[in-house]
Formats: sequence, C-alpha cells, structure tokens
Amino acid sequence: MTTIRPFTCEDMLKFNNVNLDPLTETYGLSFYTQYLAHWPEYFQVVESPSGEIMGYIMGKAEGHGENWHGHVTALTVGPEYRRLGLAATLMNILEDVSEKKKAYFVDLFVRVSNKVAINMYKNLGYIVYRTVLEYYSGDPDEDAYDMRKACSRDVNKKSVIPLTHPVRPEDVD
Amino acid sequence: MAVRPQHVHDGGIVERRLRPIYDWLDIGNNKKALQEAEKVLKKSPTLQAARALKALALFRLGKGLEAQVVLDALADEKPSDDTTLQAMTISYRESQQLHKVCMLYENAVKSEPANEELHSHLFMSYVRVGDYRSQQRAAMALYKFAPKNPYYFWAVMSIVLQAKTSEDNTKRGILLALAQRMVDNFISENKMEAEQEARLYIMILELQEKWEDILKFIESPLYSQLVPGSTAQASIPYLKKLGQWKRLNVVCKELLWDNQDRWDYYVPYFDSVFYLMKENEEDSDSSIDNTAEKCHEFICQLVESMSSGRTLRGPYLARLELWKRLAVDGDPTSLIGNGLALCVQYLRVFANKPCAVPDLRPYLGMIPQKEREEKCREFLTCLGFDENSEPESADDIQRHISCLAAWRLVAAPLSSTGALELAATLRGHYMRCLQKGLVTSNITEFCAADHYGILAAHHYFYAGVEQQSSAPIVEALCLLELVLHHSPANFHAKLLLVKLYHLLGNAVAADSIYQRLEVKHIQLVSLGWLHCARLAPACLASRALQLLADTRAFLKHHGKDSVEHLTYAYKYGTFEKLVELAGWAARLEGCGWGAAAARDQALLAQLAGPPALLHQPSRLPALPTDNRDLNVIVNYEPPQFQDDNLKARTFDQEVSYLRLKDALVSAIALCIELADSRPVEEKKGHYEQLNTCVEAFSTAMEKCRQLYAERERISISAPFPSRIIAFVNSPVPYRELYATMLRLVGELAINRTTAAHDACDAVARLLPKAQLQLQDEIAVKGDPVWSMRDRLESLSNYLEFIGIITFLLGVCNELFSPASAKKSKKKTNHSPDEIKTSELLNKLNNTVQTSIAFLENILDEWPKYEANIDEILAKLSLDDKYQSPVENKLKTGRDDMLNDVRNILKRKSKYLKSLLQ
Repeated sequence: MTTIRPFTCEDMLKFNNVNLDPLTETYGLSFYTQYLAHWPEYFQVVESPSGEIMGYIMGKAEGHGENWHGHVTALTVGPEYRRLGLAATLMNILEDVSEKKKAYFVDLFVRVSNKVAINMYKNLGYIVYRTVLEYYSGDPDEDAYDMRKACSRDVNKKSVIPLTHPVRPEDVD
Repeated sequence: MAVRPQHVHDGGIVERRLRPIYDWLDIGNNKKALQEAEKVLKKSPTLQAARALKALALFRLGKGLEAQVVLDALADEKPSDDTTLQAMTISYRESQQLHKVCMLYENAVKSEPANEELHSHLFMSYVRVGDYRSQQRAAMALYKFAPKNPYYFWAVMSIVLQAKTSEDNTKRGILLALAQRMVDNFISENKMEAEQEARLYIMILELQEKWEDILKFIESPLYSQLVPGSTAQASIPYLKKLGQWKRLNVVCKELLWDNQDRWDYYVPYFDSVFYLMKENEEDSDSSIDNTAEKCHEFICQLVESMSSGRTLRGPYLARLELWKRLAVDGDPTSLIGNGLALCVQYLRVFANKPCAVPDLRPYLGMIPQKEREEKCREFLTCLGFDENSEPESADDIQRHISCLAAWRLVAAPLSSTGALELAATLRGHYMRCLQKGLVTSNITEFCAADHYGILAAHHYFYAGVEQQSSAPIVEALCLLELVLHHSPANFHAKLLLVKLYHLLGNAVAADSIYQRLEVKHIQLVSLGWLHCARLAPACLASRALQLLADTRAFLKHHGKDSVEHLTYAYKYGTFEKLVELAGWAARLEGCGWGAAAARDQALLAQLAGPPALLHQPSRLPALPTDNRDLNVIVNYEPPQFQDDNLKARTFDQEVSYLRLKDALVSAIALCIELADSRPVEEKKGHYEQLNTCVEAFSTAMEKCRQLYAERERISISAPFPSRIIAFVNSPVPYRELYATMLRLVGELAINRTTAAHDACDAVARLLPKAQLQLQDEIAVKGDPVWSMRDRLESLSNYLEFIGIITFLLGVCNELFSPASAKKSKKKTNHSPDEIKTSELLNKLNNTVQTSIAFLENILDEWPKYEANIDEILAKLSLDDKYQSPVENKLKTGRDDMLNDVRNILKRKSKYLKSLLQ
C-alpha cells in the first residue's frame, strides 16, 4: 500500500527510519538539494498510508551520444518495508523516466558483497556490465559491479555487452 | 568551492599564469595562492584576474580589510572578463556582500551589452539577493537578444515570485495575470517545450485558483505531449477542488484497476464516494460508486482480481479505511463486518511482513477501547500462537512477533508485575532464538528475532516507569546491548539504548551508542533532540559543546549554500523546486533547535569552554521551526496513550526555554559591551537595554513557572520533559540570582555605586541559601539511580549559573580595575566607595568559591550505579564469551562525568582566585 510522489526537501526530516540503515548513506544536504533542483523527476519517494517514508530512489540522466543514460544514485527501502516489491516499483519509475528522456540504458553501482541487491537487479533484467575495482572506499576498499539494463532506444542492445576486463574508478565516466 | 571558471577565453597565456593560483586555492593553501598571485602581479601589476584571485586568497586568510581594498579598486575599474568577475563573485559571496555582485555585473553588462553569459550572471546575481523585479528585467533583456525558452520562463518565474511576495491583492492579481498572459502567448505560438514549463503554468493558474483552466490544460494534447501518461493522475487534485466527485470517482476507479496498491488513488476515491453519499442523488449511472455498498463491492472486486502471485496490501487496507470512515457516523458492521475482525483478518494475511503492525496502527484506535481490551487475545492467537509459542522458522518468528506486537497495542496496559513477567517471557524467546541459531542477523541486516528483545525492553521500560525503579531499566539495557552485539545494524536497539542510558542520567554511555548511529548532516537537526539536547542537563558540558558546534556548523554551512541551490533551479528550469528550496532554506534558517544550540553553546562555553568572549548568536527567529523527527522511536503503547498534542506541546516548551536562554545571552552580551572603557555617559543606552532585558527575563521566568508547573509523563518515544520545567520550578531562586547578578554589572558600569553594592550584597546573601535549596532539590528520594537524571539536571542548572556568575565576576573585575590600569602599576588612591566595592566583590567571589567547594563535596558523595547486575547477566549468559558492557559503561560513565565537572569547577575556582583584589 503505497503513495508514490516526488521527494521533497521536508522528507529529509523524516527519512531516519530508512537512512539509519547501515547501507544507506546520509549525504550532505546540498547533495540532495542539487538532485532536487536538477533532476526532480528522478527523485521519488514511496510513503505508507500513515505517512511514513518506506523508501526512495534518487537518480539522474547524464552522458553524451550513445552514452546518454539514466543512473541510479541511491535506492533504499526501510527494513520494515522490505520484500514488498517497493524497490522494483521505484526502479520502474526511474526506467520510465529514462525512456521518456530517450536514454540508451540505465546503470547503477553496487557493492560486490551486496548479494541481495545484485540478485534483485538481475531479476529486474540488469546484467553485470563490468567490475570497477576498489570503487567503495573503506577498510579494505571494495569493488563495485556496474550493472546495466538497455532501454528501448538501444535497439541492438549494444550498451549491455559486458566488458571482459575490470576497470579502475578513474576510468569510469 | 572550486574557483576555476569553466570557460577561459583568452587563448591560454593568462590562464597558464593563473593556473598555479587556482591550484593552491582549490586545495585550500591560501598562503601559497597569495604568494603565487603576488608573483604574477610583479610581472603584470594591472592584471585584473590576478588581483581578484589575490583578494580571494586574502579573504580566505582572514585578511578581510586588505582584500576589500583590492576588491574596491577592481570594482571601480568595472571589469568585464569572466575570470576576474567570477573570482570577485566568490570573494563577495564568501564575505556576505552579495549586493556587490549585482553591481559588478550591471557594470560589466554595460560595457559588453551583447554578452549573453554576462547577462545570465547578472540574472543569477539578482537571484542570490532575491530581487525579483530586477530578475525579471534581466531575464527579458536576455531573452531579447537570445530568444531561448529558459530565459523567457526565468522572466515569468520572476513575476510569479513578485506576486507571491506581494501583500497588495490587486497588484498580486495584475502580476499573475501578466505571468499567465506571457505563457498563454507562448502556448499559442507553439513554443512551450518542457515539462517544467507546463508545471510553472499550472502553478500560475493555481495561484489564481483557476481550477477549470488547469483541468483544461491538463487534458490538452500539449500537456500529454510534454508529460506523457500522467493526465488522469494529474487531474485528481483539481477534480477535488471543483467538487466534480462523479468524474473523480470514475478516474480513481480506473486508476485503481491498474494500480491496486496505490494509496494516493484510494484516498481521493473514498473522498468522492463519501461526498456522493451525502448528495444522496438517485443516479442511474451504475459505474459510479455513490453508496457504501457499491464502494465495498468495488474493493471486494479488487481483492478478487488480484493474481495468485503476490498478495497486495492495498485492497485489504482499503476495506479497513472504508470501515474507519463509515464508523464516524454509524456502525458499518452489518455491511462489512466487525472492525476488530477486519483488523485480525489483516494480521492473519500479512503477519509474515514486518509492515503488518505499522499498517494496522492507524486503524486500531477505531475499535472501542472496551472491545479492544476484551478481545485483545484474538490478535495474539489468530495464527495459532500465544505468548509462550516457540516458532522455529524465520517466517513464523515474524508472524509471532507481529501477533505479539498487535496484541500489546490493543490490550489494557499491564501492571508492573505483569509487564515484568511478559518482558521475561519475551527475553526468554530471544535467548532461545539465540541458542538455536535463529538470530540470523549480519553486519548490515537485522532479523525478526531481534524484535523479541525490543518488545521485552519496552515492557521493562513500562515496569520501570510504573515502579519508579531503575532495576528493570538495567535489565532492558543488558538485553538491548546483547541484541546489538548480535545485530550491529539494528538501529531500533541503538535508539532505545541511547534513550534508556539517558533515562538513567548516563550521557557518556548514551554517547557510546549514539556514535554508532552515525548521525550526521540533516540528522543533527532531526535527531538532535534525542542525544545532543540531553548532554548538558546530564552534566556532560564538554561533549555537549562539541556536538552543539557540529550542529551549528551544519546549519551555518547550509545557510551559505542555500542561495546557490536557487541558482541551480533556474539553471535547470525546475521552477516548482525553486519555491520549495526557498521555503526549505527559510525553514532551516528558523530552526528552533539550531537557535537553541547557538544559545546553549554560548552559555555552556562560559562554563566549560576555554576562556573567550561570549559569541552572541544571530537574532532569534520570529517563528522558530520544529524539525524534530519524533517518529523514529517506535512505540507499543495502546491508542489511549497516543498524545496527538505531544509534538506541538513539547515544542512550545522548547521555544519558551529558548527565549529564556536568549534573554540571558543577550543580557550577558550587554554586560560585555558595558565593560569597555567609554565614559559613563555613553553607556547609558546599553545600561537601559540591559535593564529591559533583565526585566524581560524575570517576567518570562515568572510566567513560565505558572505555565509549566506540571510534570510531564515519561514515554519511551517522546523527548524527555523540557529543561524549562526543572529550571523554572526549581527551589533555587534562579530568577533572582541571574537578575541580581546582571544588574550588579549594569550598576557598576555606570557608577551607581550604592545600587551596585546592594546588588552585590544581595547575590552574596542569596547564594548560601541557594546551596541549601539545591541540596534539598538533589537529595536522594527513593531509588537513587532512577532519580539520577532529574538530580543531574538540577545540578546542571546550578553549574550553569556558577559558570555565568564566574564570568560576570570577571566582567566586574574588568570594570572595577581594568587590565590597562593594572599594567600602569601606578598606585591610585581609592575612594571609600571604591574600597567598599572591592570588599563586596571579594566577598561575593569568596561566596562563589564556597559554593564550588560545596559542589565538589556533592560530587564526592554522588551515588553510584548499584544494581544486581550479576543476577541479570546470569539470565543472559550463553556459553559464548560475550561480556556485557553495561556495568562498565554505567560505572565509567558516572566517573567520567564527575571528573569532567570536577575539572570545570577547578578551573572556575582558579579563575575566581585570580580575580581577588
């Protein structure tokens, strides 16, 4: 049971039940406001009937030519609201927006250890396009999978032919 | 902030010479940047860009005056090259002189009137200062020679903002009509091309309440072209506004057939049904639901239509919502059955999801309390469980947890014995799960079984409050630490631990957990009430100062950033967000907690900070905003304990406390002003202000004492009772103490010697009494650990007074024998009055020192945390090597706090001694 609506600034005051989750980063304020000012349609929240934030997605469109794509910056669902298909709902929205913007593909980065998320993305039709070495800083640094799904504009699915070699973070545009 | 301009036009020579300056500035080495700039300027002393960068480096080095000289000279030359202008803009921005940026670009545009980029910078400079009229002018000028859509809509938006801020209704109407006409023209010329432009148009129509025009626009081909596939959804709010309930009904039904889980469609659907029911019109159109029966039928169809795969919560919750709405005016039982049975049915279907209980919460209150309490066990037993069941699978554990939680949410509150028994049972469940490997948490995810521990902790808490006893709280702490040990990601356990350590007055222990929550950025504001606000009243002044500084730094940083976000919104044409971002900036600027943090920081610094002048915070916001998230701690109390007024009431108390603190800070700042070496005649103004301020403080104290006489009920999810309650109700006469002490400084400053002597004498006489009153206030009554928090809070109020009186004695000293006079070493002959002043100040100083010695004695006798911890731990012991940290945390927390206070007192004492004449 869900209300889907654009994320607003005031949601930042009540997203604690989602953001206190250790895999969800709380960014500096201007990070959120920049996304809101630039890509408001890519920043959506799912809310419970009682007004609690169940999860949200944050994304953007970027790249040139055939690299024009939608990107998932953050996708999170609060622990109480997992396994309800909300992440898929949110991903659908982002894919729809990317289709409307005539993107070639949608991509995202995920920790290689985050099996649950990787499986979910695979079920949603994403493939591991490449591995980005030591993308997440920490102790030790962790690799990321760059996962992709082609949009309808990429008729020949060129964007989702996996790379055979891993890349370094500085090679990721 | 990166300084380097994005485009450089000069072909590279200048760029190459400036590059090292940029590099140093970017990595924050301003000294090197300055040297590099000087180097360039040696070769080409007039190079404007280098001078601008030099000014920036100077600013960042704190050499504001020097920087200003360079900037002023540059501004006079009316530069127009991008590099110079951008560097100057950053300097002006960082020194809060945004108006000067406007002038800078006004001049630049005059010298290069055909430069699009300069015009665009001029527009943005007006955005930063909020000059909407000039924005409009600049945008239109821009559009005239660069006819691009964004520029045109910048102008439209600037007009809308003028209308929004205009208090004159006629003017507002004219401006909005103008804005609308501008967009209408654009539409008729087929020039509208972006979704955000369409949204801006709707915004303009909304401000004029032209609902029908909005609908017409939303239903137009242009709208579906710009915002494909959203017409039906977009029309909902306007159909509501227009009262077109039948259409709304049809639209929502259609949407619901395809989206059975969308609450934002159910709500307007129900609205339409209930309006149509009231109209009671005979309608042959059977597709419209205008009766409760039809509505119920529709929901049943939705339930039946769900594919066998995933069961959606939507239609089930819709039935509960229908029941709730019908129950307002009657009994819907005959139509859709019993409300309690519906809730139980919901639980039966969804108990395996952790969201089942949060979903049910809003509907449990609709069941009459008597029925709820009588049949509460139906919730517990609907899936065959009872409180003693021992489920073996993760799914069943979740079901059991949901049933237990729902049961407790409807059942009558237990006696303390009952609560303790249930807590013990729940703890037993947790321990069993732990033993059997059913606690399946990992480093990033917690598990269902954790909830046994959480629910048990809640019941220990109820028992503790009921018995005014710390023993159950310690049991809860031990259990929660164990849960956290096995489920390091469980933030519910962390939040409860922070809360419960604070409940026992142990801020150091609370801090150990708070740090693991990794609260940062905006959370400092939304969660600050939980921990930071409790540090000072728990006598942990030094840690409080650190966290208050973090909070203040966050808000200050955002204040500077927020205008930049407005420029982004224009740049990307997100007009809707522009209004939202401006509102957000205003909300944070008026943050009540932020204002309180500033005052707390200023006052606490007098107590625990290094010696420094009082830093007076910016003005109190006229209407402080409440940004606390009070829903983060989950509550399992039944609906009758739900306090709908809690947020407003506690905020009102916080604001009153904030105003008291503000009066104190202002008064102290005035005392400092009065301590300078001006002739007495020139100080009269400040003296009067101080008296007004002290008067206001006294009156407010008295008023608050009447307003906040009652003690607040302690709830696990609510903030602790506001500090104002203990402060104004204290037997220690803080009103007189502060007022008299502040007056003493004022009288001394304008040489009203007799009045000063009286005030000095009065404080010296009040203090010994105050000590006794404090002793009484913090005397142990009942369980010393249970009352630890209250007693520490009382002590902290006294400590804060000691900090301030010590500081003010320093000010008196400065007034009476200024440091400059001491240096001259000239022996001056003192008048008898002066000798008396000196004697009285010395006497007061000694009295404060006695008070400090008295406090030190209190600290030596401070009760320990004594609990039968071994007995508790025995119940939690498994065969592993886990060592509960609770005992040690309580002990070292107490010791660290006491040492912190002792050190502070020692420093105060030393300082006071140095003031003796």
